[in-house]
Amino acid sequence: MSVVDHNAIELSVPHISEAEVGDYIALLKPRVMSLVIFTALVGLAIAPGHFHPVLAVTSLLCIAVGAGASGALNMALEGDIDALMSRTANRPIPRGRVTREEAMAFGVTLAFFSVMTLGILVNWYAGALLAFTIFFYVVIYTLWLKRWTAQNIVIGGAAGSLPPVVAWVAATGSISVEPLLLFLIIFFWTPPHFWALALFRSDDYARAGVPMLPVVAGPDATRLQILLYTVVLVAIAAAPWPLGYFDAVYGIASLILGAGMLALAVNVYVSRERLASLRATRKLFAFSILYLFALFATLLVEVVVRAFLPATW
Amino acid sequence: MTPAMADKREPDGIVLTEAQKKSRRQRSIAMALALGVLVLLFFAVTLVKGPAVLNRPL
Repeated sequence: MSVVDHNAIELSVPHISEAEVGDYIALLKPRVMSLVIFTALVGLAIAPGHFHPVLAVTSLLCIAVGAGASGALNMALEGDIDALMSRTANRPIPRGRVTREEAMAFGVTLAFFSVMTLGILVNWYAGALLAFTIFFYVVIYTLWLKRWTAQNIVIGGAAGSLPPVVAWVAATGSISVEPLLLFLIIFFWTPPHFWALALFRSDDYARAGVPMLPVVAGPDATRLQILLYTVVLVAIAAAPWPLGYFDAVYGIASLILGAGMLALAVNVYVSRERLASLRATRKLFAFSILYLFALFATLLVEVVVRAFLPATW
Repeated sequence: MTPAMADKREPDGIVLTEAQKKSRRQRSIAMALALGVLVLLFFAVTLVKGPAVLNRPL
């Protein structure tokens, strides 16, 4: 009898990665990251007082890397779901380019460094809030809510809404109403945005067993929820103007953009026939990205214009 | 065994393919760059903060 099990030795040959840098960049969800960077930039821009540019860049870098870490950890934990959905089947883990363990190690390392760097170089309140954001996205949303409730993206949306708050806290060391308004805008923007996507990808979600609202409650209930959340979103996005937090330029932009968002949400609500519904949801999904970008860009442009034209603005 | 014979021997252990070597080299360079950026970041912030870098209130 041989003491050594040769089969076991053959099976234990270690996996040698052929993953390229691009595969690891894909784990960071660059498109989500770009929106996070942009909303955080607006949080920094509207914060009062002087914030050194080097510290501002450091804060943005840490927030971006923290968001990327969340994306990598999310993909590590959802490799099974991603493989079943056409939208995500091309990600590095389902394609076999990166193992779940490698993605997990990558995500944990980035999360650790982003939080510690923000804490050490900027301030620990911001570091702690970034750590909470990553925890909320990975543990509360990915591990718990996503596979458990149709309200997954509503509650989980809080994680995606926090970057401008983290940025404000990095710049000021405290919290205020303005970043919370930005938080609320992204929070109420998330359901119409994701449910529009879920409506035209509901087969994907059903196959993967993810209880998205269209899968659990049906498309009609989802259309109604999209409309209701859009009404609340438009009201909340416009509220900072009469409340005196943001000025008229922002207020008018929010009303114009909100009218577009509302019109498309109504179109989704009334378009019940299959092809028309598909077109309507795709339009709303695409416009919702433009809506958030343009709304936040208005705030950014105002800050830049004020900086260059302090006397006349 | 002469040194010449030893050179012709099959290498022991795991031999990386060209693709594995290339991707490993790419990853190593990316990690070196990331570490370089981190060092530069800490250096730049130290210059910006000056002596205040030692002051660490919450």
